[in-house]
Amino acid sequence: MDQFLQYTILGLVLGGIYGIAASGLVLTCTTSGVFNFGHGSIAMLSAFLYWQVRFDWNWPTPVALVAVLGVFAPAFGALLHITIMRGLRETTEITRITVTVALTVGALALANWIWDPTVPRRFDYFFGGTNQVKIFGSRITYHELLALAAAVLIAVGLRFFFYRTRTGVGMRAVVDDPPLLQLTGGRPERLATLSWALGAMLAALAGILITPILGGALDPNALTLLVIDAFAAAVFGRLRSVPLTFLGAVVLGLANNYVLAYFPSERWTWTSNFRISLPMILLFVVLLVLPQDRLRGGTITRARERFRVPTMRSAVVWAVILVVGMFLLREIMAPAVVNTMVIGMTFAVIALSLVPLTGYAGEINLAPVSFGAIGTIIAYHYGVTGSGVDTRMTVWGLLLAAAVCAVVGALVALPALRLRGLYLALATMAFGVFVSTMVVADTVPRVLPLLHVEFSIFPNGTLNVPRPRLGPIDLADGGTFLMVITVLFAVLGVLMVALRRSGYGHRLVALKDSPAACATLGQNPVRLKLSVFMLSAAIAGLGGALMSAAMVSVNPDRFVIFVSLGLVMTVVVAGIGYVSGAFAGGLLAGVGFVALQNMFDKVGTDHASLSSLFSFLSQFSTVLPALIGIGLARNPTGFVDDIIRAFEVFRRARVMLAAGLALQAAIYLLAYTDTFSNWWFVALTVLLWGIWPRITPLVSDRLAPAVRARRAGAGALPAGPADGPAEVPLELVGVDVPLTDEHRRVLDRALGLPETAALPGDLAAVPGRVTPSAGIPPAGTLVPAP
Amino acid sequence: MSTDMAATAAAGPVPGKGAGIEPPLLELAGVRAGYGPIEVLHGVDLAVPAGSVVALLGPNGAGKTTTLNVCCGLQRPSSGELRLAGRSVTGASAETLARLGVCTIPERRGIFPNLTVRENLWMMTQARSWPRGKQARSWSRGAQAQPGVSLRDVEEIAYARFPVLGERRGQLAGTLSGGQQQMLALTRALGTDPAVLLLDELSMGLAPRVVRELYEIVGRLAAEGMSILIVEQFARTVLPIADQVALMLHGRIVNVGAPSEVEEHLSAAYLGA
Repeated sequence: MDQFLQYTILGLVLGGIYGIAASGLVLTCTTSGVFNFGHGSIAMLSAFLYWQVRFDWNWPTPVALVAVLGVFAPAFGALLHITIMRGLRETTEITRITVTVALTVGALALANWIWDPTVPRRFDYFFGGTNQVKIFGSRITYHELLALAAAVLIAVGLRFFFYRTRTGVGMRAVVDDPPLLQLTGGRPERLATLSWALGAMLAALAGILITPILGGALDPNALTLLVIDAFAAAVFGRLRSVPLTFLGAVVLGLANNYVLAYFPSERWTWTSNFRISLPMILLFVVLLVLPQDRLRGGTITRARERFRVPTMRSAVVWAVILVVGMFLLREIMAPAVVNTMVIGMTFAVIALSLVPLTGYAGEINLAPVSFGAIGTIIAYHYGVTGSGVDTRMTVWGLLLAAAVCAVVGALVALPALRLRGLYLALATMAFGVFVSTMVVADTVPRVLPLLHVEFSIFPNGTLNVPRPRLGPIDLADGGTFLMVITVLFAVLGVLMVALRRSGYGHRLVALKDSPAACATLGQNPVRLKLSVFMLSAAIAGLGGALMSAAMVSVNPDRFVIFVSLGLVMTVVVAGIGYVSGAFAGGLLAGVGFVALQNMFDKVGTDHASLSSLFSFLSQFSTVLPALIGIGLARNPTGFVDDIIRAFEVFRRARVMLAAGLALQAAIYLLAYTDTFSNWWFVALTVLLWGIWPRITPLVSDRLAPAVRARRAGAGALPAGPADGPAEVPLELVGVDVPLTDEHRRVLDRALGLPETAALPGDLAAVPGRVTPSAGIPPAGTLVPAP
Repeated sequence: MSTDMAATAAAGPVPGKGAGIEPPLLELAGVRAGYGPIEVLHGVDLAVPAGSVVALLGPNGAGKTTTLNVCCGLQRPSSGELRLAGRSVTGASAETLARLGVCTIPERRGIFPNLTVRENLWMMTQARSWPRGKQARSWSRGAQAQPGVSLRDVEEIAYARFPVLGERRGQLAGTLSGGQQQMLALTRALGTDPAVLLLDELSMGLAPRVVRELYEIVGRLAAEGMSILIVEQFARTVLPIADQVALMLHGRIVNVGAPSEVEEHLSAAYLGA
């Protein structure tokens, strides 16, 4: 009984802290519509900062508390809103999720940069660990009492604030209709900033309170994940209700402590893993029982994301270019680089799994690499033949991995598919954490009940995954592997484009735009989402198994949730609606940033005098992806789209494109003959294609007409822009000025209609002359000379 | 230039009601506005004289709602001027204008659906606090500075005029019927005694009987001397209470005059002839 009481009180304390964190999350989520995946990182950064000022600089406790809770956290929260979150209006849920995920990833990198992770940092209880009171025979520290009191105070205070003060009611009004609040004289921006400040403060408080209770040193990953546990409580409150959130948090805290107390930890080796995974398991249960959302109509009618649909022809052409290009690159790469490239390409395959799911259907999977883990495990246990150096993974093993991942994907997604996209993101994230804390953490072999075989999912914490053999093609050789994975990516990429262009693809896009309209057209949104999620999970599983094979030896660290988050973020930043976005994002996440960091490290050790600068750059390149991710708020379509647009100038400047390719060939030859190193090759290539599209318009617009004019012998061109119709915007023709034959001709030409009337001689077909109205192709080529 | 204006405007408090003298309470001069590259208003001049009711009529897509959005500060004009009681408030935010006494009932969504009726009334009291901030203060010197109004006052007025709202004060506003929602929205005009009232498509989606009821209240407010700008697609409902009608077509005001004068142009405008 004493033990029960003790664990109950400790459970309440833990639940209270979860509640503080979760209520902060609910607060920001309701007022700004942004579910902050980075909530945990605010808590983490604050806890580190508190350690810094309190234990490293020895500030007195109250001063340290004021500095962190009263100054740093609110300022950080307000800054986040003003600089980043405010820009997320009218973006899709995916962009919002990605930006806050980037915040998480960036904060982690930043913490590891500032506070060297190899140094242990201890954190004391408030009032010390020995100051205790006895309540019904159980000992409770002052710190725990303080946490409990703070939780109760905050729960009551928030309730009062939201319903009994005009500012609080105003915050709820912001959720409903910010412009209307303005019309009544309220200030939505100020209220949202205030709510972010308050939310960050609550996160900081939770971070500082929870660290000593969990004992041990500060660990950025663990601390970030701990507050992520609070997600379960927030979802219990449906991301709206503060009281329900606290109730969920208390359930979570109690369950956690009862597992600790009553599950036999010696006999069941998985108990401690289970305890860590518990919040995520509970999150799943909550998702199962949440009532279905109303189908929404086209709520994002003005979304800023725009993905164009490529033609089949261009898809095939680019697939061939990719394979040929990779073949040429392979010829100049060192074997070690080839292996890195293989890993990068496997990442690109995993990234490709996000294109149909996220890019087309608008649903998000935050744990693609965790599906990769499942694929790896299946392929390792059931898809291997041969022994010794001849051990190989079979094609069937890979296919089985994909199939099992599809089924697992269905199980993961099913509870969340009825709900809106954010809940699916949370479910997949819960799955990702579950995989890394429970599945791949299952390293100690034990005898299975009923089957009586000794089994462990991840024996001894390392899997030696053999390279696959596909019939006569043996992938043990890195170069072969690279070509096979590139061809695989190209084929899958073309299939994805075909999928997008098929009826199924159109249905997916329709689903993204308006589930309600989709349902009225006789589609079953849940079935559609389920099928695309299964497809996506299968590709991720296949990519994951290949990734593990490429790495040869993998450990559980490869599958932590942060790897997935980093990958998803990079792919969205690159452009998740495009296969090329998956390619760029996958390569960057898989090898790009690591390569950058290695390069700076290497250069830093080579040039000792500049080593501090290069170690800064190296550290900076760990934060860089997150900064790019945060920049997504400004450009939600992704950078691949920008590149495609930049290269569009070559459409009307084939000569310049050919010249550029010739230069590229020259650079390649120089690298091929070892005239200069591959670093130079990469640098010059980047430089060339960075500059070339910018030079091209200058050359083709200024030089070409001049040359043409000289050739035509005409001394001077007639001044292009003309008279009359140009001054009136087209939509006002017929209103402000009468509609003339000339307007009709302009319209006909724009619409591709045949000429209607005989031409009066006013529009002479002078080469190079441009039609009066903007945006319509040059007239000279289309109008026959009178 | 702005100092002259301050001088003229600071001469006395703005005539709120029935004064019917010099500068129009609300005035648009040469306003151009649009969405992105598309210009919707091509130079709109419109004045609401103090104490009068102006109806802005026109077919779909004429730019009526955009005009109203410029008036209430939700849309910034790309050129031209917005004047409140003779003083330029171009570029002022919607909340500043609201606090200066511009009361706007937007089409369809004049209430917060997830707040209770009483909480909705509470939100209305914000419009009557003093505008804060340096810029807002300089604007307020010219326009009407509003003293505070308490929740109790607003509640009293609202429940007296619409007893049904009193019965449902604890109910979420989103669960009220369409007519009751518009009553709640109109309460803002009743309870906060604004300088000028902007109404957008009050009749949208409502039963004719409810529309009649609502316009009865608008008519009473007009009779009390409130300056009102009404945007409406159904011309017949507003002509009886309007002092002046402005006819809008393709982003321009094409005709201004007494209802009887403009009426004959109406069908031509609507049919696009």
